[in-house]
Amino acid sequence: MVFNRLIFSEFHLCQRIFSRGLKLKPAWDITTGICVERLPVVTPPLNDIQKKYKELLYTIEIENSLKSDHEIRKDNDIIQAKQLKESIDVDYDTVSKITAQDFEDSSAEELGKFQFADIITEADKKGIKNTVDRCLQKHLVLVTSLKFGSDMKQVLPQGLWKEGETLRQTAERVLAQHCGPDLKVQFLSNAPCGFHKYKYPAEIDGKIGAKVFFYYANYRSGKVSEQVKHTWLTRSELEDALPIRYNKSVQQFLIEENI
Amino acid sequence: MFQLSLLRQFARLSIYSASIVNARTICTTSVVQFKMTEPLCAEPMKKKKKMDPAIIRAREERRRKKLEKQIRRLQKNERQLKPIDEIEVPLNLLDEIGKRKRPTVSHSAEVLEARALLQKEWTRYKRNEYINNVAQVDRIMAAQRRALEKLYEESEELYDEAVMPDLSLIPFTINGPVATPPIKNYESPDGDYIDVSKKWEN
Repeated sequence: MVFNRLIFSEFHLCQRIFSRGLKLKPAWDITTGICVERLPVVTPPLNDIQKKYKELLYTIEIENSLKSDHEIRKDNDIIQAKQLKESIDVDYDTVSKITAQDFEDSSAEELGKFQFADIITEADKKGIKNTVDRCLQKHLVLVTSLKFGSDMKQVLPQGLWKEGETLRQTAERVLAQHCGPDLKVQFLSNAPCGFHKYKYPAEIDGKIGAKVFFYYANYRSGKVSEQVKHTWLTRSELEDALPIRYNKSVQQFLIEENI
Repeated sequence: MFQLSLLRQFARLSIYSASIVNARTICTTSVVQFKMTEPLCAEPMKKKKKMDPAIIRAREERRRKKLEKQIRRLQKNERQLKPIDEIEVPLNLLDEIGKRKRPTVSHSAEVLEARALLQKEWTRYKRNEYINNVAQVDRIMAAQRRALEKLYEESEELYDEAVMPDLSLIPFTINGPVATPPIKNYESPDGDYIDVSKKWEN
């Protein structure tokens, strides 16, 4: 088994070296595409089965638990109220002035006063897509429009590799040039995470097409510069916006979302 | 004389030159470069001071007492370990345990059945989720492997650069996701900081 695998990998390597040896100058442009992803800010909503199971766990936990201090206090309050009603002589000093119910009410009031931030943001309501402040429960991918020949296309930020730099450096440079220095991201690897290639309609400088190596980065802070036409899209929106074959290549390395 | 001339012949072979060789060494075979330290000659004995035997005894006594005291202290604290508050059940809870027990609820057969069914359904759901996750990781890894293979075809140097580990990622931190989105420009109310951690001294 081990031997077999060894032979296989060796064979594979030989094949690769052989095919490289045969090829002449690469007739493809090397480009990098950068997939900047904003991770979800807020946890996604629970689905039906998750909700049901959570409820079950809560009830079982309460059934198995002991009473808390607060519940004991509540029980004592009830007993004392009963004693007061039956006017058994009670030591008034020991009767607590603030009952457990009062405490609960005041806590509820305080909670009611507190305004949580809305999960549906302003941008969601207005349908603005060029901000990270939208769809807080989902992954968002930065998409920009780039000029290919004569027509504009919606793709990930992309740029040509220059002689003398590593692909990672190309990715960093292209992103800074394209989206402005304000956008801070964190690249997660020196290695590309995906691949795509397409042919030019006609040869340009002897190149028949471009090979795109995708780099994955997480959004950290900052904004894409205003001059660049860009959108932050969810998975389903990506499907509509990107060219079909391109989208297929991109979805290959993205985490799937089922909400 | 004969020996010296012979030594000179081998001088180039030996590590040290022959001149270092101690003049005291006499040997008939080839020189081995072991060296001995000079013997220390004896020196006259010091005159012993005369001491009062009572003082010596008192001193001894004091030393022994000191040691005994230390031993006693160690024995006393031998099995005393630092208590861990989180593990020890507070005594008042142990006293009130009867009061704190909830009335036991007995569920009908239907409720139990429904719970068992939900448990089974949940297990199936989690299993599917797990299989999906593994498949997803496989898919993402395959995409990366393909990209690297294509890169290797293009240029070996770029491939070598790409497979280098990125050390700037260590240590890696990431925040979130959280239950509710952060409120913009929120100033959290002031509070007092009270350090309740106990000090333990030996």
